[in-house]
Amino acid sequence: MPGETRARRSLYWQYMVEPFLYLSPAIVLIATVMLIPLTIGISYSFQSIELLNPFNTGWVGFENYQQLWSDRKFWIALENTFWWTFWSISFQFLLGLGLALLLNTEFFGKKLFQALVFLPWAVPTFLSALTWAWLFNPVIGPLPHWMASLGILSEPYNIMGDPELAMWGPIVANIWFGVPFFAITLLAALQSIPGELYEAAEIDGASSWQIFTKITLPFLAPMIAITVMLRTIWIANFADLIYVMTGGGPANSTQIVSSYIFTTAFRKLDFGYASAIAVALLGILMIYAVVLLWLRKKLVKI
Amino acid sequence: MKHLLSGLTTIALLMGSGAYAERTLKLVEVITSPERTEVLQGIVDDFEANNADVKVEIVSLPWGQAFEKLATMVAGGDVPDVVEMPDTWQALYAGSDQLVSLGDHVAEWEHGATLTEKTVAMGSQAGDLYMIPYGFYLRAMFYNKKLLAQAGVENPPTTMAEFKAASAAVSELEGKSGYCLRGGPGGTNGWIMFSAAMNGTNEFFTQDGQSRINEPGSVEGIQFMIDMYQDGNAPRDSVNWGFNEIVAGFYSGTCAFLDQDPDALIAISERMPAEDFAVIPMPVGPSGKAFPTIGFAGWSIFKSTEHEDAAFDLVAALSAPEANATWAKRVGVIPIHKGADQDPFFQTEQFKGWFDTLNGEQYVPTTMPTYLEQWGYFGSTVVLETSQEALLGQRSAQDLADEWAELLTAEYAKWQANQ
Repeated sequence: MPGETRARRSLYWQYMVEPFLYLSPAIVLIATVMLIPLTIGISYSFQSIELLNPFNTGWVGFENYQQLWSDRKFWIALENTFWWTFWSISFQFLLGLGLALLLNTEFFGKKLFQALVFLPWAVPTFLSALTWAWLFNPVIGPLPHWMASLGILSEPYNIMGDPELAMWGPIVANIWFGVPFFAITLLAALQSIPGELYEAAEIDGASSWQIFTKITLPFLAPMIAITVMLRTIWIANFADLIYVMTGGGPANSTQIVSSYIFTTAFRKLDFGYASAIAVALLGILMIYAVVLLWLRKKLVKI
Repeated sequence: MKHLLSGLTTIALLMGSGAYAERTLKLVEVITSPERTEVLQGIVDDFEANNADVKVEIVSLPWGQAFEKLATMVAGGDVPDVVEMPDTWQALYAGSDQLVSLGDHVAEWEHGATLTEKTVAMGSQAGDLYMIPYGFYLRAMFYNKKLLAQAGVENPPTTMAEFKAASAAVSELEGKSGYCLRGGPGGTNGWIMFSAAMNGTNEFFTQDGQSRINEPGSVEGIQFMIDMYQDGNAPRDSVNWGFNEIVAGFYSGTCAFLDQDPDALIAISERMPAEDFAVIPMPVGPSGKAFPTIGFAGWSIFKSTEHEDAAFDLVAALSAPEANATWAKRVGVIPIHKGADQDPFFQTEQFKGWFDTLNGEQYVPTTMPTYLEQWGYFGSTVVLETSQEALLGQRSAQDLADEWAELLTAEYAKWQANQ
């Protein structure tokens, strides 16, 4: 029947072609700013691209990845990335949540306090890194002396010169820098919880722990999941503080994967190998994001 | 016809004199800071006052991107007349036949004869003079007189062994250390100097192209640095120290010895009374020699200039003894003319160390093999990471030296293959 084909054709048109026509500006935009650079970047990781060896280029297959597998520095950097991200995000989240809960109550001078809490977020990274680097310096900074008086250190010395402790320098700076982000976003989420729920809980005689775990946390959960995921990816890639404070040293003890990519690309001028490391980092972060999104779906039932 | 000719001649003359009055020289400076540019502008102003027909346009490139920027300018045809040329680029530009040979100009120049031999040697490439250096960044050893006196050290050290003993004595004092060790960025010079001093030579490669950095003597020098740190003769956090930290460590009185170029003197003399410190040559090794690293920069003229004579007049004005002395004092380099050490400013105890180095037989200035492609990566990344591992006791001096030697030998082979 002629009518049937026409109907099928129009269905095909309606569902397969027309929507993409409307979407095409967005698709073209995404392709140009994201997909094309990504593809080029990934393709670099299968090539030999050394800036100082312009004639030694070409496809090398999985050579860069094989090199990566046996690269001691990469594994050190990966482990450092894990600890750097884990401790930064844990403290940022817990302190940020605490601050958000405090700021969600009424007290005298709240506005001033609120402004102070958000201040670190407004300080340029470079400046906060320098300031913290000097604070940890025993010649002019107070921190080593305080830590020695408290018995944390045996004598006032710079922890950033000690490979066991060096990572804590940038981590402390990062915690200071990142707490406001959690405070702001969690405060916004807290304020969107309907007040009646708390009133009802109070009438029913719930303890404050119960109120926190049964009302506040479940309502915050979607926001927590998304902010933790975003911040994890962000912090794992965030080498500015480390670069200014320790330069990855001493002896690679604060080198993270993204700073290793930087040195490989811009000091060694080996873009092929740097791309291979970048792809590895991308893969790890993708797996992490997928796991977290799956967890969020499982845990959050609202 | 006659009228026409005379008319044309008049026009030509007018145009000629017009062009003559408008000679403009482009001067590119590449190691810049506001203060340096001000000093340079002052010297250039004097030059313009004495040469009314010449205008000088100063272009300042920030050092971080200067190499690429100048290369792009030259490649794009926007070639400067006069350029500030660092030692590390000289081979590149002189080798590609871009620079004016200055030998004849200097021979006619009234101050040409007073240039020191080292100045002429450093500015020359394959027998031709391509730049007039404006001064030298030479390593010498600062020492804190008070700390040495407190530690009971009577004379400043002249040998590596004495240096170690003096450092150990100072480190006995409460909260003080002997040596401001540079374990962080820019520490390469220290490792190279100490390994050369212990090995008795500053040659980087043997006849058959092998790196000499893992010869037993060199390894001893590397071990010397590691011992200094591990025996507590250097501050604990100096494993991370770069330029600012070592200089601050010295003027704050945290450590007693600092090896640096004269440009560190600017910061130190601002914060330390002159009678509290002095500068001596680098300590000599078992062979009786020391090999302080030397760096320099100077003025070169590009061949493409249309006003070669005016350009040389400018370079001559910049390099004249008086201007050079001003420049050297403000920028912190060793001046280039014989007799400059008679200037009261350079006769202080603070400057003595550098002039003693330049005049002493036992001190052989060392230039780094910057012609190797990966030298920058080697110095800024490989040495930094591996030497920190060694300082912290994670690997041995021999292990370190072998890794460096492997990289340098391979780079040298590449360089030789391209010759």
